[in-house]
Amino acid sequence: MWGVPSVNDLGPVIVTGISDGAVYAICALGLVLTYKTSGVFNFAHGAVAAASAYVFYQFRDRDHMPWGLAAVLALLVVGVIGGLLLERMSYALAEAPTVMRVVATVGLLVGLDSLLTAIYGASTIAFKNFLPQSPTRVGGVNIAASDFITLALAIVATVGLYLFFKRSRLGVAMQAVVDDPDLLSMQGISPVVVRRLAWTIGSCFASVSGMLLAPEIGINVSYLILLIIVAYGAAAIGLFSNLPLTFAGGIIIGVGINVLGQELSGSHSIAILSLAPNLPFLVLFAVMLFVPSRLLIEQGVRRVRRLRPMPTFKPQTVGVSMACFALLAIIVPLVAPAYDINDYTAGLAFAVLFMSLALLTWTSGQISLCQMAFAAVGASTFGHALAAGFPWLLALLVAGLIAMPMGALVAIPAIRLSGIYLAIATFGFGILVERLFFTSFLMFGNQYAIRTPRPHLLGLNLTGDKGYYYVTLSLTALCCVLVLLVRRSRLGRLLRGLADSPTALAAHGANTTITRVFVFCISAFLAGIGGALLAGVTQSGSEATYDFSVSLAMIAVLAFCWRLPILSPFIAAFLYQVLQVYPFFRDATVLKYDGVAFGILAIGVAVWPGLGSIRSSGRAQERDQRGSPVLARSAPVHREKVLT
Amino acid sequence: MLELRNITAGYDTGTVLHDVTLVVPDNAVVALLGPNGAGKTTLLRVASGLLRSRSGQMILDGVDVTGQQPFQLARRGVCHVPEGRGVFAALSVADNLRLQASARVDRAAVDEAASVFPRLGERRSQRAGTLSGGEQQMLALSHAYVGDPSYVLLDEVSMGLAPKIIDEIFDYLRQLAGQGISQLLVEQYVSRALELADYVYILNRGRITFAGEPQEISSETVLRSYLGALAS
Ligand SMILES: Nc1ncnc2c1ncn2[C@@H]1O[C@H](COP(=O)(O)OP(=O)(O)OP(=O)(O)O)[C@@H](O)[C@H]1O
Ligand SMILES: [Mg+2]
Repeated sequence: MWGVPSVNDLGPVIVTGISDGAVYAICALGLVLTYKTSGVFNFAHGAVAAASAYVFYQFRDRDHMPWGLAAVLALLVVGVIGGLLLERMSYALAEAPTVMRVVATVGLLVGLDSLLTAIYGASTIAFKNFLPQSPTRVGGVNIAASDFITLALAIVATVGLYLFFKRSRLGVAMQAVVDDPDLLSMQGISPVVVRRLAWTIGSCFASVSGMLLAPEIGINVSYLILLIIVAYGAAAIGLFSNLPLTFAGGIIIGVGINVLGQELSGSHSIAILSLAPNLPFLVLFAVMLFVPSRLLIEQGVRRVRRLRPMPTFKPQTVGVSMACFALLAIIVPLVAPAYDINDYTAGLAFAVLFMSLALLTWTSGQISLCQMAFAAVGASTFGHALAAGFPWLLALLVAGLIAMPMGALVAIPAIRLSGIYLAIATFGFGILVERLFFTSFLMFGNQYAIRTPRPHLLGLNLTGDKGYYYVTLSLTALCCVLVLLVRRSRLGRLLRGLADSPTALAAHGANTTITRVFVFCISAFLAGIGGALLAGVTQSGSEATYDFSVSLAMIAVLAFCWRLPILSPFIAAFLYQVLQVYPFFRDATVLKYDGVAFGILAIGVAVWPGLGSIRSSGRAQERDQRGSPVLARSAPVHREKVLT
Repeated sequence: MLELRNITAGYDTGTVLHDVTLVVPDNAVVALLGPNGAGKTTLLRVASGLLRSRSGQMILDGVDVTGQQPFQLARRGVCHVPEGRGVFAALSVADNLRLQASARVDRAAVDEAASVFPRLGERRSQRAGTLSGGEQQMLALSHAYVGDPSYVLLDEVSMGLAPKIIDEIFDYLRQLAGQGISQLLVEQYVSRALELADYVYILNRGRITFAGEPQEISSETVLRSYLGALAS
């Protein structure tokens, strides 16, 4: 099967590949364009594409408009109006630290996902072709007219954008605006106009790609969001900045997926079979791991203000409030209705998960969008260990320990790359683990679930709901102690230094590499424990619990629960998991829109500091980072000159 | 004529300029002197629209332009060469020049700039961030030429440069003045500034303490204003 295939075999596959690739390319171009001009990497780019597909469907199939009109309207609503709204958001994020930029676009993704699902349901909607399909024979291969049109669109988009950037003054301005909008304004070009144009073009590209994908895969938010992640691979080939390379990346990936899929289809190994659809992730990681980091420039960080450090409290304050809190937690099962106890237990498990996230994000300033992958590893390992006859507590410990090397693995991009690229890498990593391993025998297996019975400890039967609640509570308390110990140790100080200024930390001779790896390991350990505890609630860890979308929702929720190392995770877990036990929040409509609420709140928290006085501080910010210009300049020289 | 009338301005941290009135007549070079922290940069930022004044007016050629955005003022002929290096480090020299040029000149901008600073012509495709400090300042200064402005605001453009390059820059400023382009010059080399200037203002702790012609000013006046600030 590895012989050189004739053109006739591969021809149609390559044609499909090019056509698919063209759609990915259009999508990726929009992503790169907006990132380049605003410094905001739009994780919700795929959700924008999905939104456009739904609007298109609404107008064409539900309101029975001609497809041309429906397409133009979808482009107008999602591409233009959406683009202008996104411009406002990115403007407010112009000086926000990378963490908050990620929070904002992830919040948007979570919100749009939930909104579209709430309105149109979670099931896939079939969508008839709208472009003409009549085939033309080229070199012995039938090529549908729609494929030609798609490819032509992609080529026109790429060449057009390329020439625009090279030839026109506005195009040049688009590359300058992210660095210094004030300076651009002083050259007589309105930065707002430039940004609006960039976001409108970018969103229109997302919108077009969404509409083109709709007939191929049907309309389904999760599919569209996932498929558009393919565009990340293309953007990575373009190093998140070069447009022609991004186009090439889209085509390469499109052809690669189709040809590999065809070539490997004879294989019986699931690992080999899943190679083709996961090609974009492999490309993404290859770029993240092997491309020299100086080529991956993080855009728009020059003007960034620092994240305020997390507050620290006196040990007495912490002690007293923890005691009150513990008392409250102990009382809960005694007063809550019996059927709600499991929700509270799950809340505790989520508190541990949120703690692992807060440790990473707020304490060390690094971003992980794959926390649930760690949790899944923990849960499945826990199940396997229990099945192998490990004592319950030991199995739990093993669950945490096995997650640690995963954390170290993710830390590799964290060592090489900073900020946004780490977020992109973890995003891809989370999805890849889910797609490659979740259903393998190593994890949940082909039943999508693994048994995780509850324990008998110290001669007590703790398999009841109350018993398991107290087991989880004690272990959660231990995790709190671990986090507090980490924060108060030398490592904690290093982490805070890392969050504040990695370069300054390195300049003081601290080994930032080990620090980064370490914090990822501890975070993964906690996530592994949290995942295992969560599996114990239902006594069977199921794959769906650990979906990557949960990692994203967690980021959004944690963002608006202040930035306290222990309390925030508990508040977040309460909002995310426990709130639904109360009648008002159990309401079907409220439940449907909870993601929308989380998303809006996350965006709000991220953009809030930027809504006020951006204008007055553009160039001033730069000087603050350089230190006082008054000090920087040598005062004696100044005085001498005056005397002459 | 560029007029600032009773400008009061500042930042969140406090008011910096108190009731400042300053006039840049047509075809004139105005030197703005004052000790560190006096508010010179702040004044230029108000004049180019980067900072909104809390009260006061700005009149440009008889038109009230108070509160206009920097790009609107730039289109009306105000060119601000900012403190530090006013270039886009990630863009090539040629692209920087194209942004500086008014839309009319656009593509010919490089040749125009090269006619004044030949070194920029030689380095047209180099990234501005990799130019030497002096070359970057020349690039920033080309704005005053290729942008075809009527008023140029210059904020310590000689800062940190070698004497030879400073000579070159002052020759260039003299040339601009010869073409009738008005300048508001903030400069630490007081004597050079006074040589070039038609009028002088001294700003001290956000207030104008002297306004007049260079001949009226003794080195004592300058010194007193500077030391006054230093002593406080
Ligand atoms: N962005 C800012 N935010 C808050 N305060 C500022 C800001 N920029 C300047 N200031 C303050 O305003 C005052 C005047 O600053 P300005 O830069 O205008 O002085 P300057 O006369 O240009 O001084 P120098 O000769 O050192 O350049 C200073 O006290 C400074 O600390
Ligand atoms: Mg200054």
